[in-house]
Amino acid sequence: MSTDTDTTPQGAVTGLEKRIEQLRDGLGVFKGDRLGQIGIALVLVFVFVGVFARPITIEFLNVTIPGLAPHDPNARAVGGRLEPPSLAHPLGTTQLGRDVLSQLIAGTRVTLLVGSLAAFMAVFIGTNVGLISAYYGGWVDDVLMRITDIVYAVPFLPFAIVLVAIVGSSIVNIIGAIVLILWRSTARVIRSQVLSHKQRPYVESAEAIGASDVRIMYKHILPNVLPLAFLYAAFAVGYAVIAEASLSFLGFGDPNMLSWGEMIFTVYTADAIRQAWWWVFPPGIAITLFVMSVFFIGRTLEKVINPELRHQE
Amino acid sequence: MSLLEIRDLKTYYRADGGWVRATDGVSLSIDRGETVGLVGESGSGKTTLAKSIIRLFPDNAEIHGGSIDYDGTEITDLSDKELRRRIRWQEISMIPQNAMNGFDPVYTVGQQIVQVIRHHEEGVSKADARDRARDLFDELGIEPDRIDDYPHQFSGGMAQRAMIALALALGPSLVLADEPTTALDVVIQDRILETIKEKQAEIDSAMIMITHDMSVVSETCDRIAVVYGGRIVEIADARTIITNPRHPYTLGLRNAFPDISDDDQELISIPGTPPDLVDPGEGCRFAPRCPFAEEDCWEITPEPQEYEPGHFVECHRADEIDYLQSAAGEKSTWQDATTGDRDAVVDGGIVDTSGADATETEGGSADE
Amino acid sequence: MGLREFVVRRLVQLVFTFWAFFTLLFVLFRLVPGDPTSMFLLDGMTPEQREQRIAELGLDQPLHVQYVNYIEQLLTGDFGQSFIYREPVIDIIVVRFMNTIVLMGTALFFAYLIGVTFGALMGWWRGSRFERGGIIVTLVARSSPEFWVGIVLLSVFVFWLGWFPSSGMRTTGGELGGGFIQRYGSIDFLRHLFLPALTGAIVYLATPTLLMRSTMLDVLKADFVEIKKAEGLPEMTVLYKHAARNSVLPLVTVMAIATGAAMGGSVVIETVFNWPGMGREMVRAVNTNDYPIAMAAFFLMGSVVILMNFVADLAYVYLDPRVEYE
Repeated sequence: MSTDTDTTPQGAVTGLEKRIEQLRDGLGVFKGDRLGQIGIALVLVFVFVGVFARPITIEFLNVTIPGLAPHDPNARAVGGRLEPPSLAHPLGTTQLGRDVLSQLIAGTRVTLLVGSLAAFMAVFIGTNVGLISAYYGGWVDDVLMRITDIVYAVPFLPFAIVLVAIVGSSIVNIIGAIVLILWRSTARVIRSQVLSHKQRPYVESAEAIGASDVRIMYKHILPNVLPLAFLYAAFAVGYAVIAEASLSFLGFGDPNMLSWGEMIFTVYTADAIRQAWWWVFPPGIAITLFVMSVFFIGRTLEKVINPELRHQE
Repeated sequence: MSLLEIRDLKTYYRADGGWVRATDGVSLSIDRGETVGLVGESGSGKTTLAKSIIRLFPDNAEIHGGSIDYDGTEITDLSDKELRRRIRWQEISMIPQNAMNGFDPVYTVGQQIVQVIRHHEEGVSKADARDRARDLFDELGIEPDRIDDYPHQFSGGMAQRAMIALALALGPSLVLADEPTTALDVVIQDRILETIKEKQAEIDSAMIMITHDMSVVSETCDRIAVVYGGRIVEIADARTIITNPRHPYTLGLRNAFPDISDDDQELISIPGTPPDLVDPGEGCRFAPRCPFAEEDCWEITPEPQEYEPGHFVECHRADEIDYLQSAAGEKSTWQDATTGDRDAVVDGGIVDTSGADATETEGGSADE
Repeated sequence: MGLREFVVRRLVQLVFTFWAFFTLLFVLFRLVPGDPTSMFLLDGMTPEQREQRIAELGLDQPLHVQYVNYIEQLLTGDFGQSFIYREPVIDIIVVRFMNTIVLMGTALFFAYLIGVTFGALMGWWRGSRFERGGIIVTLVARSSPEFWVGIVLLSVFVFWLGWFPSSGMRTTGGELGGGFIQRYGSIDFLRHLFLPALTGAIVYLATPTLLMRSTMLDVLKADFVEIKKAEGLPEMTVLYKHAARNSVLPLVTVMAIATGAAMGGSVVIETVFNWPGMGREMVRAVNTNDYPIAMAAFFLMGSVVILMNFVADLAYVYLDPRVEYE
């Protein structure tokens, strides 16, 4: 039963088989879940667009893969000012004659970058805090959880605005500001999960054979709470993207990185929101679609983790 | 005329593979003031049968056929609204298995009793309803002031008494008691059963007692219906079911509660699991687990036969009563009956009459 | 542990959290990389003016002295002078704060009212088309940033249909002063309030709806729901008075988090609709380096969140008679 504590290769194989079994089980849930499939399909499209947004040159092959964006998103006057959609510019142009479609395609990159990096780092920190807090308990737990409480008291967006305003509007600072807040929920939920795992026999027997704390935490307990971390990562991607878009919309975006939020900010500052619907709606819809698809994936992951939910529909 | 007359009732649940026939052609009548026990394993359909009487089942269930005549009212024809206003609680109330979960945890028990009184009886003031709740508590041996306690502040036995108070608040003519004592420990069980019987006699209401426990029904019921696979396989007065049953399943159930049949009887359980009710097919539903199953049992669905007045049995071999009763008392009989194997035909060798005249152990002897 | 002890312990925690939050603010605004004083200074000041300003603000004192002064000032509500308005920060921010509370309070109220009602129905009619549709709609709403929802509503109801005013809190020329009712009760005000409040309601709807639905599914398994049906109570009584009443408890705890989100959201929504609240003021202050205002706004937002956390804890104990005080 307690193959998890077995350190022989055979035990490892069983562990691996168990993982594969879990994975298969997880994929099975996706198979029966329309929303989850839509989510995955949409995210794949976004990733494809993001990767191939701009021309990619592979030096040693001397090949250049042409970018998806028909124009340089920052080049002015590729068309007239505020032109409505046409064949040449399917999504029209901005007040400086830039191509909206190209901007939209280029903006995908920023979204993917912020979403994935911020979510990964937030969940990484949160998982470790939760794991350490629950495993050691006592004053370690007290200190870490009080810190988490305090972070819960900080309003997300105002904090990010102030921080970015003080340290500067770069993509790195924006991601940093997001991460500093976003880890809190993962920390709490992982902690409670680890607390329940701590009581289980496999941890006790690992302790009995003298495994080190680090080993027990990361080799034995972590794999069991990892699915939950993935779930929180999916949601974190969504929240990070919304946060970045909101920051950019308020004018605190990285001026060198054109993002969807920043596009809408520009519409606003150019006072073109009344007439240039073609410039406003595409980035807005893109944000909603992207966040929606990661939430759909998250919902499906939730069912993988909590099989009881599968019968709820 | 009887109070309740169920005829050929079919209550089915929609499931992935089709319809689950939880109650599949059941007929049963109950007189005023009478107590009828429904006995069977979990999954036999006994609870569905009882709840069908007030149409209390999930959205995926429906009455597929048959009729339920309650005191001249056809329950299956009533609108939901009429059913709620005229029948539920007013006429037919219910005592659940675990009273603690039967109360809404966020209201006091008193509030919940007052609510149901005032909902059904127009013009009753809150104060009057409260007084009635206090009186009910008093009658059931609970300190009247405790109506202001929340359910979680009661002990299991007290909660069950409070539940009985709730069930009797409107003076119903029929009470459905769904395993009312299984969640309690043995000593309290008997006291609660006594209380139920007492109060029931006082207000002269009929009762359906649902249980898997033969000893409970033997003490409390006038008649007992044994339910298996969505059908009543045997029904008779309580004494007959305990001392002189004819259906192999009843014999098996009796073995599982040895104290009611014979002193030196050992506990023998029936191997196997309840049948698949999605597609039961032809033949006796108990055949796969029955140690006495023959060729016919697998192919022909048995019809109920009346052996004595009021004693109906659905079994092809019910007339071989002496042999069945003696063989069923042997542990080996049940062990040999490998489940689901229709070729395992029993050899008729073991005949021992010692188990035939089981004496009733009326009343139990559980002191308080 | 008794109720009193529980409340006392929570109060101690509350004080501690406030202290930590004060300190965080201090660190954020004074110890950031670069010249810590630069953000309190305006471009174009002469060196003398700079010196004077620094002395005025006590920025020439040692850090720990500054820290003590700072705590004192916060506790007395003295946030200093706005660089731009040249008025005490407290005077400016209190009015803005009220405007934000009215806007976000309305938004949250409707988000929870609608969320609880529909979430309960979604759980009750589980497996229905209503439930499945509801889940998708809520997820889409939750996936949309506040500014985007605001822009869509603006485009439809203002630019296209012309039903509502596009921005501000009242039509220009309307007199400010007057009592609370005059300020916040006029038709003109409500017309201005409608779209920004709706924006907030839509965005914050998702959490209570989905949570309500999933706790309903748990509660509906409980025996008492069946008993209440057996009692002959009307379906809606069983649904809202019993099942939903039991499901609503976990919502109380997320309400604190929702308030936090709303405080952040106010920044965006107020910017979109030009609502003269604290959030817009904060954005403006940060953009114009009016740091005393920015800090005061941030301070108030955080305080609301901390207090709501506290209230949620107490409310939970009050609402659930079973709760053990840990």
